[in-house]
Amino acid sequence: MSSPALYRVQEEVPEGVAYRGHRFDNPSSCFSWMVATVHGCQCGPHVAIGRTRNIRRKEELMKLRNLGVLGAAGMLAITAAVPAFAQSPASMGTLKIGIELPLSGASVANGEPTKNGILLAIKQANEAGGVGGYTLVDNTQDDAKDGVPNPEQGAANMATLVADEAVVGVVGPFNSGVARFEIPVSNAAGLAQCSPANTGVDLTKEGSEAYRPEKPDQRNYFRVATPDDIQGPAAAALAYNDAGARNIFVVDDTTAFGVGVGDSFSAAFIELGGTIAGRQGNDYAENQDFNPMLTALGGNFDSVFFAGTQTLGGGQIRKQMGQQDILDKPLIGPDGIADLQAGGNEGAFITLAGVENSGNVWGTTAGINEIPDPEAFKVAYSAEFGQDPGAYSALAYACAQILIQSIDAAVAAGATDMAGIREGVRANVFSGAEFTTVLGPLSIDANGDSSQKFISFWKTDPTLNEGKGGWVFVRQQDFGGAAPAASTAP
Amino acid sequence: MLDDTLVATLTAQFFNGLTIGGIYALIALGYTMVYGIIELINFAHGELFMVGAFVSFSVLTGFGFAGPITDPVTLTWVLAVAFVLTMLLLGVLGISIERFAYRPLRNAPRLAPLITAIGVSFILQNLISAIYGGSSKPTPQVFPFAWRFEILGATIPWITVFIFVVTVILTVSLSQFIARSRMGRAMRSTAQDREAAQLMGVNINVTIALTFFIGSALAGAAGIVYGLNYGTINFTMGFSAGLIAFTAAVLGGIGNITGAVLGGFIIGFIQVIAAQLGYSRWTDAVVFSVLIIVLVFRPSGLLGQQVGERA
Repeated sequence: MSSPALYRVQEEVPEGVAYRGHRFDNPSSCFSWMVATVHGCQCGPHVAIGRTRNIRRKEELMKLRNLGVLGAAGMLAITAAVPAFAQSPASMGTLKIGIELPLSGASVANGEPTKNGILLAIKQANEAGGVGGYTLVDNTQDDAKDGVPNPEQGAANMATLVADEAVVGVVGPFNSGVARFEIPVSNAAGLAQCSPANTGVDLTKEGSEAYRPEKPDQRNYFRVATPDDIQGPAAAALAYNDAGARNIFVVDDTTAFGVGVGDSFSAAFIELGGTIAGRQGNDYAENQDFNPMLTALGGNFDSVFFAGTQTLGGGQIRKQMGQQDILDKPLIGPDGIADLQAGGNEGAFITLAGVENSGNVWGTTAGINEIPDPEAFKVAYSAEFGQDPGAYSALAYACAQILIQSIDAAVAAGATDMAGIREGVRANVFSGAEFTTVLGPLSIDANGDSSQKFISFWKTDPTLNEGKGGWVFVRQQDFGGAAPAASTAP
Repeated sequence: MLDDTLVATLTAQFFNGLTIGGIYALIALGYTMVYGIIELINFAHGELFMVGAFVSFSVLTGFGFAGPITDPVTLTWVLAVAFVLTMLLLGVLGISIERFAYRPLRNAPRLAPLITAIGVSFILQNLISAIYGGSSKPTPQVFPFAWRFEILGATIPWITVFIFVVTVILTVSLSQFIARSRMGRAMRSTAQDREAAQLMGVNINVTIALTFFIGSALAGAAGIVYGLNYGTINFTMGFSAGLIAFTAAVLGGIGNITGAVLGGFIIGFIQVIAAQLGYSRWTDAVVFSVLIIVLVFRPSGLLGQQVGERA
C-alpha cells in the first residue's frame, strides 16, 4: 500500500537525485510506511530523498533521544538502588547448590538416594544457621531421558545451572559419559562441580584437557569417587582372591565406562596371574541376549566379569547364566551392578537378575563404605527420608559438605556478590584445603581427585531381606595414590 | 572329526539361532502383512511387540504366576490362556490404531501415514512407560528352563523348541488362512488391486482391519515368547526389535510371508554366528551389510515380491 507522504516527496524533489536505499517499481510492494522512510525505499520510477523526509527524521531522532534520556535516568535510579540490595544479603540472601543427577525412569534407583544425600546436607546447614549468613536452597535438574542418563540433557541442565547466578556449586552428575558433556560448560563459567560417582579416568587425569577448552588451566571439576584406573584393578583383586576366578570372560556394555573398566580389569587380572577366556561387547539397547556369547566359550571359562551397569545388561547376563545352569561360576562387576539395593526394589540388580540367580555375585563400589561414623549418618538419613542411605548417599553428602565449607571460606575471605562467591568456592576447593566430611578428612588434589581412594568390596546374599536378597559388605581398601599391585591382595 | 566340545557348542548355538530367529520372524510377519496390503511400513509395529510383552506380563502376574510351572497340564492351560488373551488384546489394539491413525490417511500422500506411524510408536512407548514405570521388569518365566534334552553333547532347554514350534504353527496357519479362506482371498485381492477388489464386492475396511488384527496378534505372540524366554522386558525394547524385524522383512522380500520368516531366521543366525566368532560388537554392522548386499543383487529381497499370489 502506498502512502500519500511518499507522493508528496516525489513532488517536491527534482528527478535524478541520487539516493541511498532500495527502489521498487511497483507501488504496491511498498507495504510499510515505516520501512519506506527509514530505509529509503521509494515507490514508483522516481529516485528521491526529500527534504521532508529529513525533517521527519529529525523529529523521530529527537523522540528517540528523549526516550533514551528517560531510559538512562531510569537505569541510573535502579543501579543506585542495587548496591543497597547487594549490601544486605547477609540475612536475606539465598545461595543455591545445583544438583544434576538422573532422577527418572530406570535411574531412580541410583539417582534418588544420591540426591537425598545432598538435600540432607543442605537441610542440616540451614538448621545450623545458614552458611556465611546465607540460606541454602537446591536447584535440582534431571538428566535422564526415557529413564537413561542423557549427555545432551546433562549439558543443557548445566547451562541452566550456570545461568542461575545464585548457583555457586553443583553436585553431579552420576555418569561419566554425561560429565564429559557437562565439564566444558561448567569450566567456561568457572563453576565448581563435584561428582559423587563419576569414575571415568579421563575426567581428571590424562585426556581431561579436552573437557576444558575455554579455561584449560583452571580446574573446576572434582570428585569424591575413586577413578576406574583403580576400580578395575581392585575388581581384579576381588575376582582373583575373593571369588577365586582364574579364567574369566569379560563382557562390556560398549559404553565408555564399560570399555574403560573392562580394559583396566583385564590388564590387572592378567598381571595377577589369571587368563582372559574371552572379551566381547554388547549394546544392551540393541540386543538383550547373552546366550550366544556365553555359549561361544564352550564352557571354557570359570567366571564372568560384566563391565557395565545393571540396567544395561548386568541383571540379564546373570539371569541367563541361571538359565544355562552355570550359577556356580561367579559374576563380578564394578559399581555399575553393585547398586547395593535389596532384591525387589525397582530396577535393582537382584530384581533384574532374579534372586534365585543372584548368589555368587561380587561387586565393587568406588568409595568408602565404613565411614567414620556410619550410625549417625544412617540415623539422620532415615529420619529425613524414611529409608536407608543408598550406595552414593554419603558420597553426595560429602560433595555438598565440601561445597558448603568452601562457601564459608569464600564469604569469610570477603566475597560479597554471587560471581565472587562462585569463584571463591572454586578456588577454595582446589587450594589444597582439608575438608571435614562424613567420609573422613580429605582434600582435593590438583587434578580434582580426592585424597581418599577407597574401593569397597561387596558380595550378594540371596537369603537377606526375607529371601529377597541383598548385598553384604566384605571389606574396603584405600588404594592411596598408585593402582594396586598383586601384593596388596589380602 | 570335529572336536566334541565344538560340536556341542555349535549345536547349542544353532538352537540359540532358532530362538532369536523365531522371535524376529513373528514380528517380521506383521510388518510384511501390513505392507503387502496397504503399502505402509508400520513403524509402530515394534512397539506392538513391546506392548504384547507387557500385556502378557500383566496377564501372567495377574493370575498370580511368578515362576516356573512344573505341571505340564497347568502349564498348557496357562500358556493357552496367556496366548489367546494377549493376542486378542493386541489385535484389538492394532485395529484401533488402524482405525484412528491410518484409515483417515489412506488416500493421503505416502509420507503422512509413515510419520503417523512414528508418532504412534512414541505414544505407545510413553503409555507403557507411564503405566509400568521406566525400569526393566522381570517377567514370570512359567516355562521351566529346567526341562532340557541332550543332543550332540549339548543340553538344550525345551523352551527353544517350544518357540520354534509356535513360530512354525503360526506361520503355517497364516499362510493357509491367506491361501484358502474367503477372507484370505479378500486380503490377497486387496493387496493386488484395491479398487478392483472393491468392485468385486470386497469390504476394504474389514479386510484391512483384519490384516492389522492378525499382524498385531502375531507381534503379541512374539512378545509373550520373548517374556517367557528372556525374563526381562523394558519399554524401549520395541524400537530395535522392530528395526531388525523390518530388516528381516525387507531381506526376505517385503510383502512375502515366507520371506519374512526366512529373513527373521537369517538375521537370528547372523547374530549367533557373530557372537560365536567373538564379534558381538559388530552384529548390527554385519546384519545391515548383509541386507545391503542382498538388496544390491536382488532389490526385491530374497524371495521377491510376487505381483500375483502373496502367500
